[in-house]
Amino acid sequence: MASDLLSIAQSGARAARAALDVTAQNIANAASDGYVRRSASMQEVSAAGGQMRTGDISLSGVRISGIDRNADMFRQAEVRRTHSDSARATAELRGLENIESAVEQADLFSAIVEFEGSLRQLGSDPIDPALRAATVAAAETMANKFNIAADSLTAVAEGAQFEAGAAVDQANVLTSEIARINVRLARAGPGSSDRASLLDQRDLMLERLSGIANISTSFASDGSVAVRMGGSSGPSLVNGGNASALSMAIDGTNGTPSFTLDGNPVAPAGGSLAGRALVLQEVDTVRGKLDALASTIATAVNNVQGTGAALDGSNGVAMFNGTTAATLQVAFRDGALIATAPAGSPAGSRNAANLADLRTALESGGGAERMNAVLFDISSRVAGHKVTTEALDAIASSARISLEQQSGVDLDTEAANLLRFQQAFQASGRAMQVASDIFQSLLAIR
Amino acid sequence: MINLSTGAFFERATRQIGSLRSEAEKLQEQLGSGKRLTRSSDDPVAAARLRTLARHERLSEVDQRNSERAMADLKMTDKALGTMTDLVIRAQELTMQAANGANGLEQRQLLLAEIQGVRDSLLMVANSRNAAGQALFGGHLATSAYNPAGAYEGAGEAETVEIGDGQTVIRGLTGPEVISFEHNGNPTDLLTVLGTLAAALQDPAANHTTAAQTALGELEAGLKQVTTAQTIVGARMGWIEIVDERRTATGELFAEERGEIGGADPATTMVRLQEMMTVLEASQASFVRLSGLSLFDKLR
Repeated sequence: MASDLLSIAQSGARAARAALDVTAQNIANAASDGYVRRSASMQEVSAAGGQMRTGDISLSGVRISGIDRNADMFRQAEVRRTHSDSARATAELRGLENIESAVEQADLFSAIVEFEGSLRQLGSDPIDPALRAATVAAAETMANKFNIAADSLTAVAEGAQFEAGAAVDQANVLTSEIARINVRLARAGPGSSDRASLLDQRDLMLERLSGIANISTSFASDGSVAVRMGGSSGPSLVNGGNASALSMAIDGTNGTPSFTLDGNPVAPAGGSLAGRALVLQEVDTVRGKLDALASTIATAVNNVQGTGAALDGSNGVAMFNGTTAATLQVAFRDGALIATAPAGSPAGSRNAANLADLRTALESGGGAERMNAVLFDISSRVAGHKVTTEALDAIASSARISLEQQSGVDLDTEAANLLRFQQAFQASGRAMQVASDIFQSLLAIR
Repeated sequence: MINLSTGAFFERATRQIGSLRSEAEKLQEQLGSGKRLTRSSDDPVAAARLRTLARHERLSEVDQRNSERAMADLKMTDKALGTMTDLVIRAQELTMQAANGANGLEQRQLLLAEIQGVRDSLLMVANSRNAAGQALFGGHLATSAYNPAGAYEGAGEAETVEIGDGQTVIRGLTGPEVISFEHNGNPTDLLTVLGTLAAALQDPAANHTTAAQTALGELEAGLKQVTTAQTIVGARMGWIEIVDERRTATGELFAEERGEIGGADPATTMVRLQEMMTVLEASQASFVRLSGLSLFDKLR
């Protein structure tokens, strides 16, 4: 078969139109999340010369062979991996900052110092009712602040638990969505625009999922993906059209979460789930420290109270009830019950020996110092995590930017493409004109 | 071919300008509050040190108040001791007159009345109270120090008050420390001496001259005891002043350290803010120019 100039020009015009469509689509989606730049790949159509016709010119123009999606699998995997790390670090940092605020804003340290100071001031005149009342008030403030700190910690834990629960729900939505995309990908024709947009969606879902838990992926030739949690030998999250159900359980006593995948226990090492789990463990640790401190102070004060005499000469009674930060309470409101004098002193004694013991017990138990250490511990962890998070964030964003650079839409390139394909279209039109002119000149032969 | 993605360009610009802005805002906050640290995690070590300093400052405030209170008590004790000295000297004069054997009955009666008056005044001074209404010379016990008969019913020792840095001061004297003494190996006290003298003057059969002469010797020893007590009180006030001075000096050091650790130096912060603002303005301007570079504008 010989060539046909008109049909060659027509195929060229059609291909240029399609390329213009793709360019316009790129421009329209320049800001779409997860959109990967497309390009139309073109292929020459020509027939090989057959027997006895080796010298024939047999050209049939051009055709669009497919819509290419310019995604780099390696960079996408990098984005997922770094995104997991950065999401974990960010969730952990935010949780730690919340813990820091909870403990710091309760201002427990100055309340303990205030209690210490009020005891010391009581030493200047142990029978002054005003000073005694001030001491009881300071003890009450301290107990209240312990309660507030414990409550705030509980609120932090509840917030983290809620967010972890929401993330688990979202992960389940994402995995079932990926499973559905897998099924549809198997049916989409290769090189079709339908397939390209399915792949975009798939990659977007995978990236979101990687923000929740660290995942590993393996891709089949049809574009469908198998997702596993953790490394490549981890438990399967999505396999073909099947998604496994992730669920979370909160420990009743210490509030830490545990995760199961289709009933089998799993422990995410990355993503926001891992971050939240670490935060909840940290809340438990800090709460333990506060409880220990509250109990130490209460025990030390109560013990010394027991070895002294109250203002009326009676034996001292315990000043604090409760042994945890949440339950610490002052046992009496009457300042006269503070046992400032040693046991056996007569009523109204100004002997402050037991008060001195009380102060020493509080100080050697390390009330303020230990609180300072707790605060230092949390704040230095926050400071350390801030550095780590900033580093991980920078790595993640540079991976993201490098992917964007490779797969994102560059409007300048698209503008140049518009011009290029417009000219190609015009050129094909001119070729049609030439075909028509040739035909006319043939007809004009007389 | 390097593809300069438009999305990447905008994301990077947003990130850079955003981080510059947040830096500038942080500096602005430091300038506004005068504090370098807004939360402990900004500098955990400095924050921990600041807390320790705050605790020292708070406790030293209490110490200051305690030492002021002890000082007030000691000053009152000092005044009371001054009055006691005057009374004892007056008693000495009266006893001297009583020792003169040529006193008639009427004169003796007058002397007796006045000596009894001095004894009552002495009892009153020994029972004087501090600003909080507690017996100055009663030791631990807040009740009165001496009963009207002149017997001591306070506690055996005066209480000590902590005035900081582990230092203590005894805030007063017990009655016996002031008015009890030994004379010729016999323990006695000023109230007893005056009481005995008054009783002797009342008794017409007694040898008034001998009684007065004995009393004179005893009063001499008593006066020495009271002035010794006054010296002790003076020494204690001096001690409180030394500790106060030390506390003030330490307090200044602490305040200085707190300023160094936790304070934002306005000059440095201002300069850094200016620097940050310059960079921010430059990057905003360059962003506007770069983002205005679109090929679409050139294609007609």
